[in-house]
Amino acid sequence: MNVTCLQENLARGLGIVGRAVAVRSTLPITSNVLIATDHGRIKLAATNLDIALSCWIGGQIEEEGAITVPARLLGDFVNSLPPEKITLTLAPRAKQIKLTCARNEATIGGMDADDFPPIPAVEGDTLEIDAKGLREAITQVVFSAATDDSRPVLTGIDLVVEGDRVTFAAADGFRLAVRHLQLRKKVAERQEVIVPARALSELNRLLQDQEDPVKMTFNANRTQVLFALKDVELVAQLIQGTFPDYSRLVPKEWGSRAVVEVRDFLQETKIASIFARDGSGIVRVTFQAGEDGAPGRMTIAARAEEIGDNQGELDAQVEGEPAKIAFNGRYLQDVLQVLDGGRVALETTGPSQPGVIRPLENDNYVHVVMPMFVQW
Amino acid sequence: MSHLGKRWPRGYTSEHMSDRRATVIHVDLDAFFVSMELLRRPELRGKPVVVAGGLGSRGVVNTCSYEARAFGVRSAMPVGRARQLCPQAAFLESDYHYYSGASKAFHAILRDYTPLVEPAGADEAYLDVAGSELLFGDAPAIAATIRQRVRDEIGITASAGVSVNKLVSKVASDAGKPDGLVAVAAGEEAAFFAPRPIRELPMVGPKTAAALAGLGIRTIGDLAAAPVPALESRFGRQGRELHERALGVYDAPVLSGHGPNKSISRETTFEADEPSRDVLRAVLRGQAERVASDLASQERAGRTVTLKLRFPPFETLSRSHSPGQPVALADDVFAEAVALFERAWAENGCRPVRLIGLGVTNLQERGRQLRLGEGIESDRLAEAMAAVRERFGDDAVRRAAEIPARRHDSF
Repeated sequence: MNVTCLQENLARGLGIVGRAVAVRSTLPITSNVLIATDHGRIKLAATNLDIALSCWIGGQIEEEGAITVPARLLGDFVNSLPPEKITLTLAPRAKQIKLTCARNEATIGGMDADDFPPIPAVEGDTLEIDAKGLREAITQVVFSAATDDSRPVLTGIDLVVEGDRVTFAAADGFRLAVRHLQLRKKVAERQEVIVPARALSELNRLLQDQEDPVKMTFNANRTQVLFALKDVELVAQLIQGTFPDYSRLVPKEWGSRAVVEVRDFLQETKIASIFARDGSGIVRVTFQAGEDGAPGRMTIAARAEEIGDNQGELDAQVEGEPAKIAFNGRYLQDVLQVLDGGRVALETTGPSQPGVIRPLENDNYVHVVMPMFVQW
Repeated sequence: MSHLGKRWPRGYTSEHMSDRRATVIHVDLDAFFVSMELLRRPELRGKPVVVAGGLGSRGVVNTCSYEARAFGVRSAMPVGRARQLCPQAAFLESDYHYYSGASKAFHAILRDYTPLVEPAGADEAYLDVAGSELLFGDAPAIAATIRQRVRDEIGITASAGVSVNKLVSKVASDAGKPDGLVAVAAGEEAAFFAPRPIRELPMVGPKTAAALAGLGIRTIGDLAAAPVPALESRFGRQGRELHERALGVYDAPVLSGHGPNKSISRETTFEADEPSRDVLRAVLRGQAERVASDLASQERAGRTVTLKLRFPPFETLSRSHSPGQPVALADDVFAEAVALFERAWAENGCRPVRLIGLGVTNLQERGRQLRLGEGIESDRLAEAMAAVRERFGDDAVRRAAEIPARRHDSF
């Protein structure tokens, strides 16, 4: 192999695929990154067996070839080089790659590319999804996925493609986030898969520089998903199992409803959470309608045992009964942070009934958060 | 269902130093264990009765009736010695399980008059009723009411002392025993103390008493009259303290048991080392129930569950776990504890256990994160059980699971 590319392109590519490098693995080669010539470009790839990332960068190919080298070492080295041309050369059947850049010359020992775990080619029906919408949808649901493995399906995001929309849902047992996204084209057949939240978080990171639509492909037996971006591909193993039917968990009715500014609600929740840091995290929310045409108000309060307390207040449009409900302050912050400003409605039917949060300007998102049972 | 003090702020301390009124009551159940035995064995009334931790050679006297005391039998005496002194006494083995219900009921009565109750054992406690006089009358009246209720509701007698502080009230209630009430008006502390033998002062043990006798001090009044430098040269820093105590001066306030305690726990010592997994799990289940009830009545939850095991003779280990969500309900406390138990027990070869205990620490405001689709029936049940236990004692309500499964012989 003999290829030449720009330092900044190689550094960027290694940064992208580096996220899929195995951290502690029993299979040593998974801490390596694959470097290979591929149809006139340089392909970089890494996999931790759950996720595989591939990235193509431009370069001059003098001689084809492939090798894997320790990702961390190569990344640190390339990142430290000046922004000039890098030449990578590998003698046939050699296990050492030689890098030259400006006045630096290095050799790095590697392992045979043939031993690198094959990255599955995912083939099947392909769906095009708007990159900006996808990013928003992932952001609005991914934090609700479970982080412990006690129920593996809950560590994933449920993706349902039906008609002309795709629905993302995540639930960790305490809260549920559901987001619909419009598709450009109708699909013929309903499809449902569970994508690991970790994979979608990685995808979200990659989407920051993406403007073209993302191509999403499931394989025929629904074990893998491929997200193809410009010059980058992410393949993830799907989670097998059945995602719980969450439709009945979204209350159809409410007894009390308050509409507030997201920014104010978030700010007061953050302040209260400072006082809820004794570990309980309990933030008490009350709201009631105003009398004689005066605006309604919402209070957000917290106390730290033996230390102190705080109560904040904001204007609210309140309908229905006065309400009181306590939440884990972090859960409230999590959802308010992913709503892009505007106004939000908090609906509930009682202190031990779910709180439902809906952005007012956008009916494609709903968040259900269970309250904390507290003494009032 | 909730008693009077329940909703008052927790962690109060008395401020008797500032007003110097006689508002501190010490209540002590008379010969508690013996009294409880007499309730169910009335035929022993009027006879010498000794209740001991065990009747074998290792047994020690817990409590003895006043009739047995006349023969020189005392608490903490070996059972063998007590038998020598009073062979005609009825010797009974302690039944803590039976006594603990009465003890809980006793403390619940006290908390009806103030949240400021400082338990000093199963059968005695200090109260500061400074804030309760408008509601219930002055301290001697409250003490009289408490004594009457203990007699009516539990069926045994209590003695009480009333004064400006815990020290004087303790001596006063001892002076009233059995079944008496002694009130010492503010300012009368030294006069009340003066004629009493030096051994009645709580911090004076046999050695100190002997040393004081060497200085010609036999009554508390002698001690109060002794020059401080002489006491300091004999007892060091303790000398000044002894002198102040003799005058009835004592600063420590009544500290409510509902203050910010750091943990809630229960432990059980087996009389014979327990080999059965079923029994150990059942005991753990019972402890989880009681710990959860305490958590509920204090409106708290805990982030860490700790299991304690002791193997004979004194090999003690403890294991802790902090689940992601704080624990508040008995089922959750039990699930954590039993997982710790199974692992720790297996690691130690499933040997017979002398003591098992469980505790919850890292306490915080009670608030249970509900799960999607979940109701609060279990919380309501926990609250109701806690209220019943607080009122009527730990054993007023029990789970069937606390009774170990009986093994059926199979053919």
